[in-house]
Amino acid sequence: MSLEQWQRAERLRVEIQEFCRSGMPSDILRKSSRHLMLNKDEYVRWMRALQSRGWAVGHWPREHGGLDWSALERFVFEDELARAGCPWVIPFGVKYVGPVIYTFGTEPQKRRFLPPIAATDQWWAQGYSEPGAGSDLAALRTAAELHGDHYIVNGQKCWTTYAQWADWMFCLVRTARDERVQNGISFLLIDLRSPGVTIRPVRTMDLCHHVNEVWLDNVRVPVENRVGEEGAGWKLAKFLLANERTYGAGVGEAWFALARLKTLAADMSCGGARLISNSGFHRRIDELELRVVALEALSYQALADMMSGAESSAEASMLKLRASEVYQDLIETTVDALGYAGIAYDPGTLHGEGPPPLGPDDAGGILRYHLYNRAATIYGGSSEIQRNIIAKSALGLQP
Amino acid sequence: MLRQSIERYTAEHYTFEGRWAALKSPRAYSEQAWSDYGHFGWLALRLPQESGGVAAGVRTTAPLMEAVGARLLLEPILASAIVGTGLILRRASADQKAQLLPKLADGTLKVAFAHQETLNAFSEDAISSEYRGGAVHGSKVAVLHADCANRLIVSARKRDVGGTVSLYIVDAVARGLRRQRFRLLDGRGAANLSFDGVEAEPLNASGAIDADQAAIAAALEEAIVASCSEALGAIRALNAATNQYLKSRKQFGRPIGANQALQHRMVEMHLLEQEVRALTLAAQRALSELEVGRTRIISGARAFTCSAARRIAAEAVQMHGGIGVSDELDVSHYYRRLMVLGTLFGNRECHFGRFAATCEAIGH
Repeated sequence: MSLEQWQRAERLRVEIQEFCRSGMPSDILRKSSRHLMLNKDEYVRWMRALQSRGWAVGHWPREHGGLDWSALERFVFEDELARAGCPWVIPFGVKYVGPVIYTFGTEPQKRRFLPPIAATDQWWAQGYSEPGAGSDLAALRTAAELHGDHYIVNGQKCWTTYAQWADWMFCLVRTARDERVQNGISFLLIDLRSPGVTIRPVRTMDLCHHVNEVWLDNVRVPVENRVGEEGAGWKLAKFLLANERTYGAGVGEAWFALARLKTLAADMSCGGARLISNSGFHRRIDELELRVVALEALSYQALADMMSGAESSAEASMLKLRASEVYQDLIETTVDALGYAGIAYDPGTLHGEGPPPLGPDDAGGILRYHLYNRAATIYGGSSEIQRNIIAKSALGLQP
Repeated sequence: MLRQSIERYTAEHYTFEGRWAALKSPRAYSEQAWSDYGHFGWLALRLPQESGGVAAGVRTTAPLMEAVGARLLLEPILASAIVGTGLILRRASADQKAQLLPKLADGTLKVAFAHQETLNAFSEDAISSEYRGGAVHGSKVAVLHADCANRLIVSARKRDVGGTVSLYIVDAVARGLRRQRFRLLDGRGAANLSFDGVEAEPLNASGAIDADQAAIAAALEEAIVASCSEALGAIRALNAATNQYLKSRKQFGRPIGANQALQHRMVEMHLLEQEVRALTLAAQRALSELEVGRTRIISGARAFTCSAARRIAAEAVQMHGGIGVSDELDVSHYYRRLMVLGTLFGNRECHFGRFAATCEAIGH
């Protein structure tokens, strides 16, 4: 990367730090930094606060309303927000489907969908996984049959995050049967207000409602809502998944969690002393810090490679693996530090009203996030799938 | 015999599907199941025959505790039938026993042991609650099943005897007692307690001045071994579920268990289960047979079980994938139960420290 690219990214870093100090809605930061549940209105306000500076779509090309960010700026953006304990940047519109539409969509599709995505005027959901198609995504069976100028869609999607708030769902459907299962998949944009759409909440192990089952029963989708050629959906799906795995927030989240772990270990008492003076626990924290340092180094190395064009396809997989696994260990250690407050749980206090039954005011949120975060090594391509990708593409190992 | 009847009853009357009603009820356990346990004599295993029990040794409760883990039972078996009953057996006078034991045996009385005072799970907790003028002053945190107990056994320092920690029994609805009820991660009930001069009766069997302290240590040891048995039951059920899922879940045209990488991970979980089982059985024997070296075996078993449980629970969720994270499947319930068991009565670090203190110094 060039000096100029580096300087641009550092200027952005300073602007974001300034935003986190003074521009960030403080009620939202209060909740997100305690891992509490945000509602739709809070997320929309958050995304719009980012977009008031053009940042929600900073990584988009200028011709579509973006800021032409480099990979480094994109990384710095998510990194700094996460370090400050901000909410995650809701990716479904701006990060996932937006780039698919400006890369593969028609001019009318770009005009229709990109502005409301950038402004978070529409909420998007991701219709990928199915009960029989998890790691083996290409085994999906939701079927779309063309009748005149409409597809008739039937099937079931699962683990659909925030479908309860969504206006639209981008969806992988099967439009043809082929010996090679990756063929015959198409990419549809489905209006979730259409007749025949049923959304059923699924509670996760944090006892909260993030994900849903989405049932599609003879849902009519105009043919102009297909992105890309019929049967070319797998190419779009892979393009999108590669974006999903660029995990800029991973490093910042890890530093945020590590900082909290340290203050907690300094605050909690342990038999007449502070927990941090327990040598075994202190060493666990130091070991974690070394892993975070390694994750950060790996991330910057990957960025340097990416920006000099030497990127290998395995890098996104490596970063996703390491970031998700380090984070799980960080938050598990934080739960340990909570002691007995780490086993008391009242989901009613996770929306910002009232303290948890025991411990500091973020104890409930830490527990909630520990539980929900078990999914981080499952969604977006499980750790097992990431290791398969690395085995194949970096090492040439075949099953 | 006991093991078979517990397994038969719970398989029939305590299925995961049937358990939802109890979990969601305000009481957070099944009143029907509790009264059945009393009826079958499972709450009286340790009681003398004249109180309706079978005077069995401490090891007899192992199959019951394994079922608590395997079927994710919500009732106050550990709190009341093991720990609370253990303290009463050790320290109550004959009169107190005559009054309390028959009701413990049939389940009409539930007791909880109010001992923990701080959030610290890393070392033994210091007790600062006080008993003076016939009343208890102080507070206790995260007391398992204190939400539903009728009586509480409270540890407190006796002011007039140099601050020795002693045991008192109080009514759970006594004046001056505040109960803040909540659920633990695994859905079982608990409460934080504050005692503002609560009328209390000493457990007053005769004995040495530190007899109560010794009884607490013994009851906690029993609780630690019981929690190992409970974890063993949960681990065994969880491994069975994961193994079954590896065989039945198909991706890429074949069972996911056909992947050698997953087979080896499942083998590792099986090995850990066998080690937990062997160590738990050793700890059960140590409880009734060993005088010297008990701590080494019991805290060693506990520390090993905590680590193994954590790995097995995480791997079970991971190998189940998305469905493992949902609240609808039992896997996440085992995960949360094992988290609770990893903290109650001292966490891994606490017991590893006790074990390490028994290891011979190198070079001697």
